[in-house]
This record gives sequence, structure tokens and C-alpha cells, in this order.
Amino acid sequence: MSNSSATRPARAGGFTSRKLAPYLFLAPFLLLFIAFIVAPLVYAFYMSLFRDTLVGGRQFAGAANYVKVAGDAKFWGGVWNLVLFGVVQVPIMLGLALLFAIVLDRGQVYAKGLFRLGFFLPYAVPSVIAAIIWGYLYGPTFGPFTQMAKALNLPPPAFLSPGAMIFSLANIVTWEYVGYNMVIYYAALKAIPSDLAEASRIDGASAWQFARLIQLPLLWPAILLTIIFSINGTLQLFNEPFLMRFLARDVINSSYTPNLYAYSLATQNQQYGYAAAVSFVLGIVIAGSSYIFTLITNRRRSER
Amino acid sequence: MTKIFNPLGRTMQRRDFLKVAGAGLAVAALPAAVRAQEPVKVLLWSWVPDLQLQVDMFNAAHPGIQIELVNAGQGDPEYQAVRAGLQAGSGLPDVVQIEFQHLESFRQLDAFADIGPWANQHKAEFPEGTWSQLGKGDVVNAMPQDTGPMAMLYRKDVFDKHGITPPATWAEFADAAKKLHAADPNVFLTNALFSSGDWVNALLWPMGWKPVTRDGDKLVININDKIAKDFAAYWQDLITAGVIETKPGFTNEWYTGLDTGRYATWLTAGWGPVFLTSVAKTSAGQWRAADLPQWDASKFVTGNWGGSTLAVMKATQHLPEAAEVAIWLNIDPEATKLYTTKQFFFPTTKALLSSPEWAGNKMDFYGGQAVNEVFAKSSNAVAPFEWSPFQSVIYQSMADEFGAALNGNGTLSDAFDRIQDAVVAYATEQGFTVA
Amino acid sequence: MTATTDIAPFKAARRRPGERRRSRIFLTLLLALFLVYSFVPLVYLVLSATKSNGDLFTTFGFGFGTEFNLWQNLSDLFSRDNGIFSRWMLNSVLYSTVAGLGAAIFATAAGYAFAKFKFRGRDLTFGLVLGAVFVPQTALVVPIFLLLALSGLSDNPLGVILPSMISPIGVYLMRVYIEQGVDDELLDAARVDGAGEFLIFRAIVLRLVAPGMVTVALLSFVGTWNNYFLPLIVLRSQEYQPITVGLSTWYQLAQQGGGGGQVLFSIVITGALISIIPVIVVFLLLQRFWQGGLTAGALK
Repeated sequence: MSNSSATRPARAGGFTSRKLAPYLFLAPFLLLFIAFIVAPLVYAFYMSLFRDTLVGGRQFAGAANYVKVAGDAKFWGGVWNLVLFGVVQVPIMLGLALLFAIVLDRGQVYAKGLFRLGFFLPYAVPSVIAAIIWGYLYGPTFGPFTQMAKALNLPPPAFLSPGAMIFSLANIVTWEYVGYNMVIYYAALKAIPSDLAEASRIDGASAWQFARLIQLPLLWPAILLTIIFSINGTLQLFNEPFLMRFLARDVINSSYTPNLYAYSLATQNQQYGYAAAVSFVLGIVIAGSSYIFTLITNRRRSER
Repeated sequence: MTKIFNPLGRTMQRRDFLKVAGAGLAVAALPAAVRAQEPVKVLLWSWVPDLQLQVDMFNAAHPGIQIELVNAGQGDPEYQAVRAGLQAGSGLPDVVQIEFQHLESFRQLDAFADIGPWANQHKAEFPEGTWSQLGKGDVVNAMPQDTGPMAMLYRKDVFDKHGITPPATWAEFADAAKKLHAADPNVFLTNALFSSGDWVNALLWPMGWKPVTRDGDKLVININDKIAKDFAAYWQDLITAGVIETKPGFTNEWYTGLDTGRYATWLTAGWGPVFLTSVAKTSAGQWRAADLPQWDASKFVTGNWGGSTLAVMKATQHLPEAAEVAIWLNIDPEATKLYTTKQFFFPTTKALLSSPEWAGNKMDFYGGQAVNEVFAKSSNAVAPFEWSPFQSVIYQSMADEFGAALNGNGTLSDAFDRIQDAVVAYATEQGFTVA
Repeated sequence: MTATTDIAPFKAARRRPGERRRSRIFLTLLLALFLVYSFVPLVYLVLSATKSNGDLFTTFGFGFGTEFNLWQNLSDLFSRDNGIFSRWMLNSVLYSTVAGLGAAIFATAAGYAFAKFKFRGRDLTFGLVLGAVFVPQTALVVPIFLLLALSGLSDNPLGVILPSMISPIGVYLMRVYIEQGVDDELLDAARVDGAGEFLIFRAIVLRLVAPGMVTVALLSFVGTWNNYFLPLIVLRSQEYQPITVGLSTWYQLAQQGGGGGQVLFSIVITGALISIIPVIVVFLLLQRFWQGGLTAGALK
């Protein structure tokens, strides 16, 4: 600890004193945060306490909007759609990401770098573009898969039918995000000390035992993080169904997902206050689900 | 909805709205005397491609009034901007493009000025059905820019092959549908566009359907009346028999269906003929136009699908100038003629509708037929129609409920009932007194 | 930590060379299958961009068209609407770069504050920041739009750039990164030497956490580039729009048959191809950084 000259002022540069410093460092971020997240949220909450009517304008409604959301079949129908969606899509997506991360980390494949980059590439594609591309691919009469099916004399796959739409959307989301989650797991795996792997091999464990008994538990924080993000992303689904609507207006209705519902309430029905209330209730549902999930899994883990 | 097609693929310049606002502020700051010599700036929002051409013509002919043209989005995005401007009390243009079907919705928001004093002298230049939508009584809120009277485009080759003649009544249409599909299971007489609420509306229109009308202070909502039920029964019959398809329109699949002859007709509006030429290229020369089938052979009445107006906002600071803009751009002979040749609009003025040049234009795509004549005839037979003050909500509900019905959730008739319930609930909740 | 099974030592998981190679091949094939899946839409994109509009729907999706039309498509793409596509690309580059840089700097500064200082309300504020991740975007976008309209800032690129500089994930990542990667002693030493806080931050901390910063910048860059809903609502003028909104507007136009109908389809698909190139390039260039950055991040 060098202790040179006489410059030992208690200050440390005028206004960059140690006490003030954290606030100053925090300030730019916090200012933006308040301006573009806190303020709009407060405003949205304020809006949600009012009803917008074409006759009579804006009227104070108190909690009436929230009561209405609680009983709104369209809202809960949309939530249910996404629960079904998530229960299938999230485990598959995260499972694949985990598998690939472990395999790549283990190194027992050729062309590791190519795989790492290739899997991550879909994440670079904006969801809007992805929806457009998959829309072309799903084409019921002239899409490439239909062309191939016809060539083989098979019935064309009905990607855009009501029964299949959820899975078709799930496919797009999976395609987009497996790479992203894989990268997170891969980074976490790299943080595990390598002597653990050595030790376990010496002890005679097989590769998959090592994965199951050592890597997974150590990976748990990362997995929990991605699950929570996935819950969040799933319940907020908007871009993909919004763009698929043009291809299948009869399947994706205006309340297919809660965000679509809020959007159409605001833009078509001009019910801004109610749309805000819907968004808030959605936020509560998301936060609640994440919290409950964390509680359950923590309890499960501490019981082990 | 106005269908814009522009095979040449160029649109007008955009101007920075902020620049205009800034310029407006600067002008307002000048002393009045100086200001009087400055041309009045009128801000026009429109998504019409290449409208700058007509704007330039106007600017050249009016040294005292200059139009600033901005494309604020096509359809919904622009309407949202207008609503936001109405809420915020600022940021509105002087003249704005609004489709016929949404005029009443904005009237509900008290968005418009009355340009009757300047416009009523031109009333005789437009068909009655068109003019009646511009305002009640002597009040005029907007000027018609383009319309979409309904008729039928059909594939002559498909008809000839199966010995079918263009049906003149809906009864004949149903028979032809069954006959055609029986002869060739891969062909359908038409693809009914239940995915497009405005298309359904256009077919109910000539039947005298009055979904939402005002009776004094009250709103009368009759969406699922006998007319709707008859209509639903008619189409449900054809759908159940499997002789027509109901796929969503304006998708690649649908275009290719038209092109390959899977669909032998397209019940469409005046902008349809040119639109078809750009999406069904390989079937050029095979199409023809015929009158819209009628429910009653002794009368000839049609409906309208799409079309826009230029409306003048109440918030404008320059009412006479704005009125002049809205009016001139839609009555000037050269400007309106340019709409038909450059933007391929279906004209609104009687002058153009009956002009030999436009009406007699023989199109190769239609085997040399002057299809515009068919649609011009339809234009003069469009019945009056009253729009609701929340048309977006009705279209949304139609899309949702027809979609549900076509996917097995009840019949079209049930769908109309559900729409009725939804709209009544919405109207009541919005403060209307529903009779 | 020993294995919990009782595999006898001689049954150690030493495989014979043949077996190891076989499982290597098997795993490679498995991964290759998914790689194909990842690439299928992109291959379709590239192939379709080379086709003329007529060929788009008449020739086989995964094959070539009757003619190589890429140059014509590109020319149509960049000349349409007075070259607005280039403008959109420029906008996306501008917004994403500025937002990425801003997000990295602000998140690092904020993360530093959380990581290395004790102050009142620290944990509460941090919790709030993280909680922001769960706010549905529709809840925010309409109020942001209205607030901007009220303050006269609507249809202004700042309405997209500024919100995009907020990266709660970035703050979290940088906090963890700094906690792990920056020694308290180093900082104290510098303080004793009389260095001001800002100097410490600039000269010491930033240098140490550069990989993490690149990660945050990259995440924000990609997030802003891909953002659709915010610019859709907040920007109105075509010339301010980023590529996501612009392309989807053309796509919707094409679907509705407006603006030249079919010609638009080939333009949209070619535009989609061009629009993903910058992000891929940025990924490739910054590869070493973000992989290193993520390693230390978040995963404790």
C-alpha cells in the first residue's frame, strides 16, 4: 500500500466524496429508471382507477376495473392459454438448453465452436422477423413443408389450425430461445471448478452421474433464473401471436394472450383504464407465479 | 379499409412533424401584419401513396395556402395517433385521412369541424350514397376521396369449363356453388372472407342491415336481426355443404388460390380489379366482371367495401383553408383524374364515374372488358348506410366470433347473437343508452 | 465431494477408445440435428431472398428459383419508398449502439454502487430494480406514449433510445461481476493514495470489468435492435422507425395487398435477411468478450 507524498486530503475530489459517490454512480441509471419505468407505472396505475367511456369521458372507478378483470373470462382464458403453452414449452426449451450445455461443456463432440454459435444465432433474429419467416414456413397450401408433404403424398401439416396453433407458436419461441438459455447454462458450468470433474471420475462415476449429482445441483441458481425468466416471457407473449394473426385471423382472436387483450382494449376499444388494469393484474400473476415457484423449489431443496 | 396499391412502388415524401410544429410556432410568433403575407400552412395526414403529386398541384394553384403532407401511418396507427392527439389536446393535423367506416367513431369524439358552408355546393357532384356518410343534414365533416362499390369478379375459363353463367341472384349463386364443387372438388365458387368484418358488412349493406343506429339520444343495436339471420343461414348452408371455403383473406394462400383458379369468383369492391392484377399474375386475361348478385331480381342495390375521406379537424386554426384543402383535393378535375391513373383509386365524383376515358378503359387482364363500368353502375346503386360510433369494436367482435364459429363453436347465426351481446354490453358500459 | 454410488474402482468410467468415439459421434449427430433445426429458417430466408416474387410461392421452398434474383431484390429493397429501408437500418444501428453503450455505462456505474458501497436503501432499491424485469411491457408502453405526448416528445427517437438504456439485468450482472472481480483492497489503496471516486471508477473498475460491460452492451444492443412494441407505439414517422417496425409494416401491407401487392413479399423477405446481418456481425466480433463476461455473471 504505497503511501507517497503529502497529498492526503480528506476530501477525495470535491463532490466525489466517498459518501456521496454511490448516489452519484446510481443517479444516471436511477433517473432513467424513474422516468421510464416508475413514472409510467404510477401513471398506468392511476389510469387503471378510471373508466374511459365514449359518453361521459373519463370517470373515476376506484377498484371497479380490477374487480372486472378478476371476473373477465377473456383475460383468464388468455392466461390459461399461456399456462398450457408454458407447461409444455418451457421444460422442453430449458431441457434442451441444459442438455446441449452439458454436452458442449464436456467436450465430447466435434466442432464445439460451430455449435455454440449456431445455437445462439436464432436469438439474434428479432422475434418479428422470426414470426414472418415461420409464417412463410407454416404456409398451409404453399409453404415448403406442405410442398414436401404433397410430394410424398402425405396430408399437409396443419400448423395454423386451432388445435396446432399453440404448438406452432411454442415452436417459434423454442427456436428463438434455446440458444440463449444454453449460453447461460454453459457459462455457469464453466464456473464449476474442474477438479470436481476429475475427482468424480476418479471415484468412478459415469459422465451422466456426474451431470445429475454434481453439475445440476450446482447449476440450480442458473436454472432457477432461467425458469423465472421463462415464466415471465411466456405470460407476456405478444410479438409472435400478434404477427401470426395476419395468417390465421380466425384462430388467434383478440384475447389469445393477456398482452394481446390489453393491446386491443387500448387500441380498438379505447378502454385505456381497463387495459392498464389488465396489465397490472397480469404483472401480479407473473410475480405471484415466480414467487410461488421459488418458494416451492426452495422448500423442496432444503428438505433434501 | 382503403386498399392502396401502387405497382410503381413509390410513395410521397415524409415531413418531420416536429419541423412543422416548430415552423408553426415560429410563424405564430410573427406580428400579425407580417403573418398575413405568409401562406397559411395546412397540415395533412394521409397514407395515400404519391399524394405529394396532388399536393404539389394544390400548392401551385394556391399561393396563399400551402399543404404540409405527413404519413402518420396507415389505418389503425394513424387513428391511434389522432385519438392520442384528441386526448392530449395537441399534436393534431388540420386535415386527416379517415375511412368512411370510422367517421362516426371520430364524430363521437367530437373530432371534426363542419365544412358544410364550403362543401355543400358540391353535393350534386357525388352519388347520394357516398354523400350521406359525410355528415347529418347540412353538416359536412369530410370529402370523399375513394370508395369501393361492390361487384363480382369471376374466372371466365373456370365458368366456361363447367358450363356456369355469372349468377345474377344469390339463389343462382348457391346453385352454381354446388354445381361447381360437385364437378370439381378442388374448385370453389368463392372464398368467403368472414375474416374481414368489413367484407361481411359490405354484403349485409344492400340487404338493408342497420346494425347500430341512433334514435334521438338512444342507440338502437340490431346486429342479430332477421336480415343477419337470413344472411347467416344462407352462408352457413354453403359452408356446411362444403362448396365454399372460408380461409382468411389477404394471405399468400388466398392470392394463390385466386391465381390458380381454386376460387372462381371474388366478391369485391371497385379497387379490386387493379388489386387483382398485382396478386394473380398468371391468370391474366381469364377474369371478367359482373354485377353483384341480388336478393331481389327486380331491384338493383349494392353496398360498399372500403374507401377514405379527407376530414377536417375541429382543432384546426385555419378552418377555411383546411376546408379548401379537403374539398379541392377531391373535386379538382385534374387532381381527381390523377387518382385514377396514378394511385388507381376508384373515383368518387360523378364526373369521373361517367367519363368515357375511365369507365371505358378496356383492361387486358379482364380480356379487354371495361370493368370500371360494372363498378360505376354499382357505385350509383349503393344504398345509404349508418355507421356505429365504435366501428373498431364491432369489427373486432366480428373477427373473433366468426372465427370461433368457423372453427366449430356454433353457427354463423350463433356468432351474430354473440356479437349482439358483446356490442350491447360494450355500448352500455360506455355510457350509451341502448334502446 | 464423492460420488454417492458404490461403483467399484475397477469399474471406473474409463471407456475404451472405440466407445468414446462412438458416443462422441452420437452426441455430435444429436447436436447437429438441432443445429439443422436452428438453421432451417435462416436457410429458407437466404434462399427466398434470391428468388423473384413469382418464384417465391411456385418453386420449392428449400430449393432455388428459376432465376437468381437477389440483386434485383436488393435493388428493389433499397429503392422502395425513396430508400426508406436504408434509413430504417441506420435508425436501428443508431438506436441500438447508443442504447447499448449507455446501458453498459449506466449499468456498470449502478452495479458498482450496489457492489462496493453501503448506503441507506441499497437492498430495497436493488430489489425494486430487479422487480422491474417482471413488469409487462404493455403496462408501460401506452403510459410512456401518453406521457411523451403530454410532454411534447412523441415521435422522437429519444423515446426509444432512453428507455432502452435501462438494463436491470445489466445492473445485476455488473454487480455480481464487480463483487467478484474487483478487490476492495485495490479500491482502498487507491483512496488512500488520494484518488477521487470518479477517477477510481474510471481507471480501475472499468478496466477490470470490461468483458462484463461488453456483455451488457451486447445484450442491450440486441434487445434494442429486436424491440418492436416500444418503437411501434412511440414513433409515428416512417423515417424514425427502426427496422423491426418498418419491415413489419411492409409485411402487413403485403398481406393486405397494399402498396404493390406481391412485389412486397420478396422485398420483405430480402429485407428480413439484411436486417439480421448487423446483429450477427456484432456477435461474431464480440464473441470472446461476451462469453467471458457471462462466465462471471449471475450464476452464484
